[in-house]
Amino acid sequence: MLAFKLALKNLIGAGLRTWLNVFVLSLALVMIVFQSGIIHGWDLQAKIDMTEWEVGGGEYWHNLYDPYDPLSLNDGHGSLPSELKKLYNDGQAVPVLVTQASVYPEGRMRNILLKGIDPSQNIVKLPASLMKGDSLVINALIGNRMANATRLNKNDMVTVRWRDANGTFDATEIRIAGIFHTNVASIDNNQIWIPLDKLQKMTGLDGNATYIILKQGITSAPTVPGWIYKGHDILFSELDTIIKSKSIGGLVLYIILLSLALLAVFDTQVLSIFRREKEIGTYIALGMTRWQVVRLFTIEGAMHSILSVVAGAIWGMPLLYLVAKYGFAMPKATEGYGLTIAEKIFPVYSLGTIITMTIIILVTTTIVSYIPSRKIAGMKPTEALRGKVQ
Amino acid sequence: MIKFLIKGLLRDKHRSRLPLIVVAIGVMLTVLMTTWITGVLGDSINLNAKLATGHVKVITRAYRESMDQIPIDLSLTGTQALISELKKDYPTASWVERIQFGGLLDVPDENGETKSQGPFAGFGIDLFDPDSGEAERLNLSNILVKGKLPSVAGEILVSHSFAEKLGINMNDKVTFIGSTMYGGMTIVNFTVAGTIRYGIAALDRGSVIMDISDARKALDMEDACNEILGFTAVDYYDDTKATELMTSFNNENSSGNDQFAPVMIRLRDQNDLGGLIDMMSGVVGIVSFIFILVLSVVLWNAGLVGGLRRYGEVGLRLAMGEEKGHIYGSMIAESVAVGLTGSVIGVAIGLLLSYLMQQKGLDFSSAMQNATMLLPGIFRTRITPEAWYIGFIPGIIATVLGTMLSGIGIYKRQTARLFKELQLQ
Amino acid sequence: MKTYIYLIIFLLTTPLFSQPSGKEILNLIDKNLTARTRIMTAKMIINGARGSRTIEFKTWAEGEDRAFTEYTNPAREKGTKMLKVEDKLWIFSPSTDRIIQITGQMLRQSVMGSDLSYEDMMEDPDLTSHYSASVVASDTVQDRKCWVLQLNALAEGEAYEVRKIWVDQERYVPLREELYGKSGKLLKRTQLSEVTRIQGRWFPMKIVYKDMLKAGDGTQFIIVTIKLDEIIPENTFSKASLK
Repeated sequence: MLAFKLALKNLIGAGLRTWLNVFVLSLALVMIVFQSGIIHGWDLQAKIDMTEWEVGGGEYWHNLYDPYDPLSLNDGHGSLPSELKKLYNDGQAVPVLVTQASVYPEGRMRNILLKGIDPSQNIVKLPASLMKGDSLVINALIGNRMANATRLNKNDMVTVRWRDANGTFDATEIRIAGIFHTNVASIDNNQIWIPLDKLQKMTGLDGNATYIILKQGITSAPTVPGWIYKGHDILFSELDTIIKSKSIGGLVLYIILLSLALLAVFDTQVLSIFRREKEIGTYIALGMTRWQVVRLFTIEGAMHSILSVVAGAIWGMPLLYLVAKYGFAMPKATEGYGLTIAEKIFPVYSLGTIITMTIIILVTTTIVSYIPSRKIAGMKPTEALRGKVQ
Repeated sequence: MIKFLIKGLLRDKHRSRLPLIVVAIGVMLTVLMTTWITGVLGDSINLNAKLATGHVKVITRAYRESMDQIPIDLSLTGTQALISELKKDYPTASWVERIQFGGLLDVPDENGETKSQGPFAGFGIDLFDPDSGEAERLNLSNILVKGKLPSVAGEILVSHSFAEKLGINMNDKVTFIGSTMYGGMTIVNFTVAGTIRYGIAALDRGSVIMDISDARKALDMEDACNEILGFTAVDYYDDTKATELMTSFNNENSSGNDQFAPVMIRLRDQNDLGGLIDMMSGVVGIVSFIFILVLSVVLWNAGLVGGLRRYGEVGLRLAMGEEKGHIYGSMIAESVAVGLTGSVIGVAIGLLLSYLMQQKGLDFSSAMQNATMLLPGIFRTRITPEAWYIGFIPGIIATVLGTMLSGIGIYKRQTARLFKELQLQ
Repeated sequence: MKTYIYLIIFLLTTPLFSQPSGKEILNLIDKNLTARTRIMTAKMIINGARGSRTIEFKTWAEGEDRAFTEYTNPAREKGTKMLKVEDKLWIFSPSTDRIIQITGQMLRQSVMGSDLSYEDMMEDPDLTSHYSASVVASDTVQDRKCWVLQLNALAEGEAYEVRKIWVDQERYVPLREELYGKSGKLLKRTQLSEVTRIQGRWFPMKIVYKDMLKAGDGTQFIIVTIKLDEIIPENTFSKASLK
């Protein structure tokens, strides 16, 4: 305990030098917590967005449905099995029917997906209720990406052509009843949402669905013949890979930043030992063993890290809190590939990271403090006392 | 005087060695950090550039209007002349032709009848000319799952899960069915040389890569292509350069209202990448600032430490009657020398390491289950012009500042006490 | 497209009544359509983004179910052959030496960049058995008086639920056809002209197809020569003849 008290006194006595080191260490700590918070926040938010907008608590796919193969849509649908129908009736799930179609904005043909969903659903965030109303016109929803690509605006009419289950062509004008903004590109790009019953009628596929979105929080997924359950682990796997890649990119940054901070501590330690030979000699003369002195100096160096954690908490916590509260603006990156990135990321700091980083800083600081201190062990106390070793 | 100081620095290791090392390491880390963050943050931009957008892209005016549909009937023609013109006018950039198209792949059974079929997105790229750098650009040899890269005409790469779905084996003959640039029907046989994995589900489920000469033949696009991609540097998107290039090219080609006239667009104009680029320069700025701040503090501290280290020496010099101002001045001059030398060494090592990491990359692919084209798991630094000077700012200023602050102590010392202090030494 | 042509290739005897029923008109059409075989050379003019293109071909057809086409021009398409037998379609391309069956998605693609899809080509032309017909109006098209015939699909599964045909009241040649979706939306329009006397029948030699949802000029189909009721060797309609 004496060693700790002494070390703290010495350290604080050194004034500005100590505080500079502490500041740098705390900066490293806060930066690292912040950066991993951003990545974690992105991950979490993307998953929340996907959950809220697209996948709910998981999905059941018709066993012939393959979202990347438009040909699969011809056969990849079926009437709801009773288990899933019950969930739908209980408001625990919502079916979606997907079919290929063409739209003709400004006379140019564009192949799209027509998706039908219950306008009164509340399983996903899609503002389906905008599709309600006037039964003469089909009220459709599109996302802002689709709106940009087709130059369609709210209340515009556009021609859609499709084929029913028997192959009969039909076309009609639909009204863009609303344009929604979502971070989830995969429910926006090249698709138009219309009421499920309308789509079922248009295609002659009464009671059919391509996939079924379960309500969030439903964890039990019974086996349903002909339908395949897709849990979050499967639906999120692409995102997980990206997050991993970003984390590795950040890791190198941490290492460089931490190295810089440790460099400062190391430099300080070297000087301390150089300058305080007399003090070292005195300690030994007073009866401390050399290793006790080594320990004292090591603790003194390592104390930087403890102070930095305190300092980091003092200036970092309010800052991190503010960012977490107001978010960190992100661009619409790589959306072309259907990735989910929010416009604003709210970092999520994990206690695990904070504790891990604190321990890492503590350990590394102790090591760089110890390395120069080892010299002490080789000193002759008499010479040290006179300050003439070197 | 300066000569004397430098001699002193060289001979007295205590005076010079440690501060020099600290400055050098600090500057090196700053350089490394700048290049790293530029490299890593630029990664997704880079990959977009390589895969689809180029740094700049030349297309027809009509093609620009419906680019997301990849309408090959609106392709550029006379591209040989166009590309040699581009090479002549903008020799620093590299120019490659690409053909993006769609079609159907038909796999025959043993009787030559259709066994399976599937739609795909096709890329015609210059695979056979090693100078084009296209195979490296798309990281092809690393994303190869089975087989080999095409080496002769008629060989193609197929995305792995697409090949599995259609039941394609290596060296199988498959048939491409599609439309030519003029709308005609085209049916061509190809041999599957290898399978690849992108890591982008949409592409993995159905895509084909072939040499551009094969695509030309298949699509009736002799001397034509739908996109000419320009790269202003190997691995880094420079928005200013791209903008300059675009402005200059479009000024020369702005006349007339031919819808097939070429027009140049930048990377930032495509795939919503503009925002990412703006954010990137913002983040690089912020992180650089933080690093410079940190390094300044470290070097300031080093300066303080250096000043304290020479407490005794200064005392002796004062005792010998040297002017306080002169000592102070000489210490600052020394720190300038240390800061400058350290910065030069640090920048040199930092750039060298950055260069190595830029060329070789740091391979983390084993830490990721599936290395892919978009996320290759290999991280590279990127040496930007700033990397050359950014380290000098903290390297010199902070060192000198530290020395200046610690040197103030000189003025506080009392001559009367000096001898007492010196006695003890 | 030759099968589509059947629809138009027909003759009519002068009706005894001033207004025959739709069924009667259709019967007359179908009766006259059943020229046992047709051999014709024709060309298709396709208007695309890069100007127009002309494709020339020769077609042998028997009844409604079997047709064989060989493309003769331009050089790129020369030697490409297409065989339709009932509801199956095969294409042979000499450069690949492969016979490919056109199914699924591919059927919806346009034929050689035209406003016609393979599906349109495959369409069953036997209107009498698939549609009920009634005369809904009379009209004047190309300065000729026409009956306007409305056809409604009898069962599910027709590509077009409603068709309207403008039939020359004197020559009983259709001069215009319009295809509608279930909801009554006009999807396609065909205009037939240059009605010529061929082997004692009135024959439209020029047909323009237009996808009404798309902007553009449509596709022209021009018959250069046509011979009816010639004998076509049986093996013409086998896959072996593709190679």
